[in-house]
Amino acid sequence: MTALLEVRNLYASVGDKPILKGINLSLNAGEVHAIMGPNGSGKSTMSYVLAGRDGYEITGGDVLINGDSVLELSPDERARAGMFLAFQYPVELPGVGGMSFLRAAVNARRLEAGENEVDQLAFVKMVRAKAGELGISDDMLKRAVNVGFSGGEKKRYEILQMALLEPSIGILDETDSGLDVDALKIVSDGVNMLRAPERTMLVITHYQRLLNHIVPDHVHILADGKIRKSGGKELALEVEESGYAGIDDAA
Amino acid sequence: MPALMMQPDLSNLVVSGPVRNAARTAWQQHGWPGPRVESWRFTKLDRLGARDITPASSLSPTTAGDGLAMAQGMGAHAIRIINGIIDPASLEALPTGLTAGNLHDDQDAQDAMMALAPPDHPISNLSMAVMSGGLVLDVAGEVPKSLALIFEGDDASLSAHPVVLIRLAPAARMVMAEWHQSAVGLSAPLIGLDLAKKASLDFVKIQTEDSATSHLSATGVLLAEKARLAGFSLSVGGEMARLETHVTMAGEGADCQLSAIYLGRGRQHHDITTVLNHDIGHCTSDQVIRGVLDDRARGVYQGKVRVAKDAQKTDGQQMSRALLLSRKAEVDAKPELEIYADDVVCAHGATVGELDATQLFYLTSRGIPEANARAMLIEAFLIDAIDSVEIDSLSKILLNVATQWMAQTGLTSHGD
Repeated sequence: MTALLEVRNLYASVGDKPILKGINLSLNAGEVHAIMGPNGSGKSTMSYVLAGRDGYEITGGDVLINGDSVLELSPDERARAGMFLAFQYPVELPGVGGMSFLRAAVNARRLEAGENEVDQLAFVKMVRAKAGELGISDDMLKRAVNVGFSGGEKKRYEILQMALLEPSIGILDETDSGLDVDALKIVSDGVNMLRAPERTMLVITHYQRLLNHIVPDHVHILADGKIRKSGGKELALEVEESGYAGIDDAA
Repeated sequence: MPALMMQPDLSNLVVSGPVRNAARTAWQQHGWPGPRVESWRFTKLDRLGARDITPASSLSPTTAGDGLAMAQGMGAHAIRIINGIIDPASLEALPTGLTAGNLHDDQDAQDAMMALAPPDHPISNLSMAVMSGGLVLDVAGEVPKSLALIFEGDDASLSAHPVVLIRLAPAARMVMAEWHQSAVGLSAPLIGLDLAKKASLDFVKIQTEDSATSHLSATGVLLAEKARLAGFSLSVGGEMARLETHVTMAGEGADCQLSAIYLGRGRQHHDITTVLNHDIGHCTSDQVIRGVLDDRARGVYQGKVRVAKDAQKTDGQQMSRALLLSRKAEVDAKPELEIYADDVVCAHGATVGELDATQLFYLTSRGIPEANARAMLIEAFLIDAIDSVEIDSLSKILLNVATQWMAQTGLTSHGD
């Protein structure tokens, strides 16, 4: 079986500084993987490198979607190939209307798939329905993208985009950061609703608490640019008890 | 006559009346400003020095362009000015409240025009002297229809020198669009806007001249007590374009909004120059300037706000922001405050930047192609300026022209 997302011995640097030092991951359809790691372990770099952001030099290895290398693809091409990155810090876009942004993204995906653009009325209906489930008000939808949103609202808006774009690979970069308990619950419920047999998710987090809500099938510990240890969901609890130091020693 | 620059000679031009003769004399004396004249430091007119002044001698029909379609779209009465000559047919059946007169025969109006015209501006003298077409429009009451002045022309050997004086009577109100879309060699309109007490004018100036045209427009504005001008210029066309506007606030409570957008590519040169004279207290002025430059295009914004000694309680704001899409594009922004009063609120600022890489990544990471993502961010950069235009029909025109400009570089904010 070909993995939906495969990261093969991936090396990446920023400037002269190596950040990722040989990452191997294989995510199959239907699986949720968690990556845990201390600050500076390379978690965010990994999410950006997977999404194709400029400013990182890939010095070795490969990233494959359905067995095809995507390293030569631009971020928009990767997104249309099924990848979605929920940002740790969603970006404010003053002057860019929320609905036209969501529609442009959905239509880009549909055109790629050879489908017609979604008509405006049907689209508004679809967005409202999904937004309702995430507690996103009409007022928020009307505003410019992420402008004037609270931290929790921004994270919910990321999940709304994921729900609309229906990616085959969802990467969640520290989706729990800056969330209180209630917001964490809403966001996690939103993510859990998107768990599906044809989809895989990579949940990147510093803390174990998110994984109480989004229970992963596999947990990987990232430290100093390498996966130090992999295991089931119980590995997250181990980290919770003994910290990353213990894991590091075991590697 | 200044040295080091060729100057067109008007000594053989047939000119009638003392005002136009005086303008000719001033032109013969000063001609085009040379590179050492401070206000023309960023916009050099060398290319015009060798050009003869060749006004059209008769009206010739041209095919209607975007301007006429725009006028029809907004339900406006269109006055066509073709190769610098006013089409008399378009002065028939004017909307209620509008009266047209011939500036050629009206010495008083010519005097009034020169009093409004930007002083020391070459077009003030040149176009008054040459006056290929002259029009006086008197406006009374609330004009039920918008007015569109469409400056057309298809002959690159010609220079167009229309002079239009628009006088709004006390409490008159009008919505107006100027559309400059000619292919003449030199387009040099001289416009005067005289707003009496409590008069109100909403206007846009759209400049989409041919890519080989030099556009130099000079506009003079006088605002009496509680008069209100909401003006917006959009400069897109031309090889070289300078849109210069001088405003004098002469009555308390006058309000002047004078915003502009310039969009340049290739080797285009766009210059937005304004001079706002707060001659009296309790007046407000606000200028929002946005520029987007690609390739090797160059943009200039010179904005001067002058507050006279007794003009207390003046509120004068100006903010210029430019977006450079290419490393070879260039912008010169020179907002200036000259304040002689002590109780005023005035601010100015200027920024130059590029598209934000993080914002671009955010959009593209959602599958939006890069060209579309760039267009969305450029539109976002312009939209707050355009949104400040209160009349919907006018802001729609601005947005349409800006969107067309983006589409010409393959930038479109919609996925098609």
